[in-house]
Amino acid sequence: MTRKKIITGFLFFLLTNNLCAQDVKDWLSVSGTMGVSYEGYGLSRSPSGWTGYTARRPWNQVRFNFTPVFKFNKDFSLPFNFNFAAIPTNFAGPYAGLKNQNLGQFITNPMNSFGLNPKYKWAELQLGTQYLKYSELSTGDIGIFGIGFDLKPKTYRIKFFTGVSQQGVNYLLGPPTVTGAFKRSNWMFQVGKEKEGVYNVAINVAKGKDVPSSANPVPLTLKPQEGFVMSLVTDIFFKKGWYFKSEAARSIFTKDLTTALSPAANEFKPFIDGHTSTVTDFAVNGAIGKKSKNFDIGVSTKYLGAGFQTTGYPFLQPDRLDYTLNTRFNAWKNKSNSYKMNVVASVGQRVNNVSNTALKAKQFIGNLNWFTQFNDNFSLNVNYNNFGFESASGINPYGIKNVSNDLGINPTYNWSNTKMNHLISMSYNYSIYDERDVMTGNTTSNNTHTALLTYVPTFFEKDVSPDFSILYFKNDVPLAKIQMTTISSGLSMEAAKKKLRLRGQLQYTIGKLNAFSNNNNLIASCNVDFKITKKLTWNTFLTTNYFKYGNEIVPNGANYVETTSRTGFQYRFDTKK
Amino acid sequence: MKKIYAILIALFVFLVTDAQIISTLVLSTQPPAQLSEWGNRKEVLTLIIRGQAGFVPNFKVKAEISTSDGTVIGFVDLARAPIFTGNSAGNTILYAADVLPLELMQFSGKYKTSLQRTGKLPADNYILCLQPVRPDDFFPLGEKQCKTFYMATTQLPILLKPYNEEVLDGKIAQTAITFRWSPVVPNSLPLATYRLQVFEILPTQSPVQALRSNQPLLDKEVKGTTQLIWQPQLSFIPINDNNSPNKYIWTIQTLDNNGNPITQTDGSGEARSEPIIFFVDLTKGVKVKN
Repeated sequence: MTRKKIITGFLFFLLTNNLCAQDVKDWLSVSGTMGVSYEGYGLSRSPSGWTGYTARRPWNQVRFNFTPVFKFNKDFSLPFNFNFAAIPTNFAGPYAGLKNQNLGQFITNPMNSFGLNPKYKWAELQLGTQYLKYSELSTGDIGIFGIGFDLKPKTYRIKFFTGVSQQGVNYLLGPPTVTGAFKRSNWMFQVGKEKEGVYNVAINVAKGKDVPSSANPVPLTLKPQEGFVMSLVTDIFFKKGWYFKSEAARSIFTKDLTTALSPAANEFKPFIDGHTSTVTDFAVNGAIGKKSKNFDIGVSTKYLGAGFQTTGYPFLQPDRLDYTLNTRFNAWKNKSNSYKMNVVASVGQRVNNVSNTALKAKQFIGNLNWFTQFNDNFSLNVNYNNFGFESASGINPYGIKNVSNDLGINPTYNWSNTKMNHLISMSYNYSIYDERDVMTGNTTSNNTHTALLTYVPTFFEKDVSPDFSILYFKNDVPLAKIQMTTISSGLSMEAAKKKLRLRGQLQYTIGKLNAFSNNNNLIASCNVDFKITKKLTWNTFLTTNYFKYGNEIVPNGANYVETTSRTGFQYRFDTKK
Repeated sequence: MKKIYAILIALFVFLVTDAQIISTLVLSTQPPAQLSEWGNRKEVLTLIIRGQAGFVPNFKVKAEISTSDGTVIGFVDLARAPIFTGNSAGNTILYAADVLPLELMQFSGKYKTSLQRTGKLPADNYILCLQPVRPDDFFPLGEKQCKTFYMATTQLPILLKPYNEEVLDGKIAQTAITFRWSPVVPNSLPLATYRLQVFEILPTQSPVQALRSNQPLLDKEVKGTTQLIWQPQLSFIPINDNNSPNKYIWTIQTLDNNGNPITQTDGSGEARSEPIIFFVDLTKGVKVKN
């Protein structure tokens, strides 16, 4: 009931705001958007009782966004960033499985943001949910609900923020199982000096600490943690596009706050105590190179010590050394003095286990994308990617060796007359993936061929743009062969004096696994974007997916239909006359 | 009669002072790499103590970790080690938290450095020896029990394909997207289970925010293999008004034989590989030149 009231009120506000905007004074300008959208999902499986396919979206979801920027004069602005959803849908992370959240959990749930950033000249106050990236090695991936500031007097930079990145969530066996979480408080601080395009020097400090008593029962697979990190960022930009960037960081991280305090352990008082599970390590990030209009070259390297860990980047994989050489250049001028050829390439290596606490693993990385516009009608794109991974395998007789090679060739030809343009695009990709069996030493090759042909006619005097394509996909690996053929067509058109924009797509795929009978898949979708007024749009997206198995699974001929409908209103604030 | 009493008392005193303790050590052959984690898991180490004559005196446990050539690299400081009171009526059972309290252990050389930096010992074969000793003079009360174990940190898979920020052709992606990743290291039996998850990043979300808050479009578990061909059965019509490509984030969660995260002390504790993003662009390769 409360939810319905909120939605109704929001819609009322959204529709009436258009009228109120007429009274906005000259001293106030408003930009940004606000809106509400509903997403519904349906899944019907046959035969009845078969559960071989599971839902992949929430049955119902309502999302709100309110992101206007109120600008009172040239010095003072007030941006809002409210994005929130009615139903929690966390699957990964500490909130996974949570269905009924209290207010604190709702506010700090990563799916919701409530941010307000009033700014006066060089001073910005940060209130509510903020995703702040101080640097690559200190903090940047997590949202924190709290309070802070960002001051930029002249070339000086002073930033501080403190708050809560997650509330305590009790473990629940379920079903559904709730992973649970410890309440985590964070703070971060930066002081530095920056002249845009010339230099940037900054010291970052960030800390996060869990409250062990904040969950009861405690999460089974998580430990209360505490992390502290300090880093120094130095970026220098020279003339003619040359640059040097670096960051050096040291972290002190307690992996389990319930372990005993130890005077011999790493500590950095008064910021962090030493427990028997406290580790300390460092990380370095560096890049040097040159950027220009037609030529880029750069070398970058990143070292993350095995014990380097921060609460600001919870998914960081440490214990590695990466180094890559990147380049991009344009070549082969045409008559109009622009370039016909563009090449982007990189080559590098990643070494895991620099610390020797694990088995050494090496990964080779190579990418090339080579585009050539031979003339007005014909272009060719070639791309090649290589990823290789090699490691010892512990007690197994053979080491791990996986190599992935992908080659793609994409010629495009187009021609036109007075009424229309024709475009034919072909694409062929060959992918081979070799994997060594660590027990027998035999290498298995996994080959994939993909061929795509697309035709796009464009009418110069009509508002209709169709496209047609056919695709063949084949994956061949010992004991399994997958083949798929897809035909699809899309249509885009405008109507009602360009107030209505329609986009539709129809796709049929016939697939086959080994000698089993064919499976069939039909997807139909459409977007309808309707401009109700200059500022108010109504966007609707509908899609349905029908899939019928062959006899590759039991029960034979099992099938399902899933539908997704998304509709919403977006109001664009714009007080400019 | 007095002589008999005297003999009995002498015998009792002898038994108490020099009572032999029989101990049995059970140690996991591949315990957690994080030494502080040993104390949280009772299945890692069990020391069963019982008296030879049904009587167990008070004792301490002398603990040493050595390399396979016998060089001692770490030991428990016996002066500060806890005193245990044996259960004369039956077995006394001790775990890693009792006999290997990290706060009382001393390591040497590169092993000390490695522990301070990583909480782990270098990957190698090691020998753990435990022996009950008298609390006052550390005189052995029983035989030394030794077990070998192999220690190597679990390296989570590295995501290989689609590579970070790769732009996939939407026409191809609507039929199939191939995911590849490196195997967990060490790659041993029982085979690890890889849980592949793909999340849609909404226009208002940051990548990690989407991962931590959305329901995954793909949530599939595969055992042992490091490739999955996904038939998305989705329409990749851009959800943005500005027709920018749709954005996704994917990751692998590696699970052990019981369905639990294979490592719970590294990273987020969920054994999730560092996620990467990819784009799906329906107009890739078919941009019309007007």
